[in-house]
Amino acid sequence: MEGRPPDDVALAERARRGDERAFEELVRLHQAIAFRTAYLLTGSAADAEDSAQVGFVKAWAALPRFRPGAEFKPWLLRIVANEAHNRRRSAGRRVALAVRATEAPPGDATPSPEGAALARERQEELLAAVGRLDERDRDVLTCRYFLELSEEETAAVLDLRRGTVKSRTARALARLRGEVGS
Amino acid sequence: MTELEHLLVALGRDLDVPEDPDLVAAVLASRPVSKTGLAPRRWALVVAVALLAALAATLAIPDARSALFRVLHIGGERIELVDELPRVSVDHDLEAALGERVPLEEARRRSGFDLRELDEPPDRVYLGERGTVWFLYGEPADVRLLVAQTPLQVLDGELMVKKLTTPETRVERVSVDGSPGVFLSGEAHFLFLLDEYRQIVEESARLARDVLIWESGGVAYRLEGELERGEALRLARSLR
Repeated sequence: MEGRPPDDVALAERARRGDERAFEELVRLHQAIAFRTAYLLTGSAADAEDSAQVGFVKAWAALPRFRPGAEFKPWLLRIVANEAHNRRRSAGRRVALAVRATEAPPGDATPSPEGAALARERQEELLAAVGRLDERDRDVLTCRYFLELSEEETAAVLDLRRGTVKSRTARALARLRGEVGS
Repeated sequence: MTELEHLLVALGRDLDVPEDPDLVAAVLASRPVSKTGLAPRRWALVVAVALLAALAATLAIPDARSALFRVLHIGGERIELVDELPRVSVDHDLEAALGERVPLEEARRRSGFDLRELDEPPDRVYLGERGTVWFLYGEPADVRLLVAQTPLQVLDGELMVKKLTTPETRVERVSVDGSPGVFLSGEAHFLFLLDEYRQIVEESARLARDVLIWESGGVAYRLEGELERGEALRLARSLR
């Protein structure tokens, strides 16, 4: 799996056997993606931090059931995503993400302020269109493109079959094309 | 990748995501105590779970068990999250667990309430404990779908459905024709039915897969199988 440190499996196995230092290392390695996952699903920094933290604690408690040799990251992200989903529904609010404001670096290749504004406007339109999709379409696009997870990882995180991820992604992209008119 | 997919990836990288916090200290502080060598609290949990399972077998449940459980504030109070599932034996002899096999017509006559049925007739029908009627689709060794209908007739009290879930279980609120329900998917979960005295009246570890539960008109309904939420809801709404 791309992006996975070579010792991830070994760390997970040591943690499964009760090695606290190995678990601590796993937290260090995966806290950023755990927080990002939770943030993109909740749209709230506070909920994301809580979801990621609780997700790690639950993962520790559930480690005895973790299958040796399995991928740790998708397993962890599934727990975090469940926590984030639960918090999002409890809060009952829509997820509102935003495009980052960028400060253009100086140089010849820098687009004009008008060009940068136009690109940003298009990104905001695309983000708004994603936001209008239903939750399941949005989640699968979030995993596949915003988190850049593979189909297999997305299937693990969303607890779907891989074929379902493929078909749901295709359907979500088709709906998104309809939304943005491209 | 299509152009739209490239645009989505680029958008994902340009999203305004707050700087990720350092969670290490917080996680380590709030994590249960060391599991190395089964520290005392761990042993206590194992003993408590073993005790719980033993008591469950005698249809009693101790108040002390509440220390093990946390109520999950989604799907109502009835969904409880546990660190470990009670150790129960999964019903390998599914037919024996479901009850007496009867013809559908006899189940309609003996159930004491209006059975709701799918368009497709069940392959097997059983009358189980507490008046539960089971519709089995497929074969006991290869169940496609299991539909349970249980009349709620506990005196002055509501039969409580306690679904014990683990962190890997996803819990979603759903509505079946206006009746509230929950859809549980993911890793194994475990069902208790408790009466008003918090006595276990049924326990289930049958399929332990995706389950849709809802109540309507004094009857608890349950669909179990390899179902996705939409498919489960479609089936539930087609029960007539």
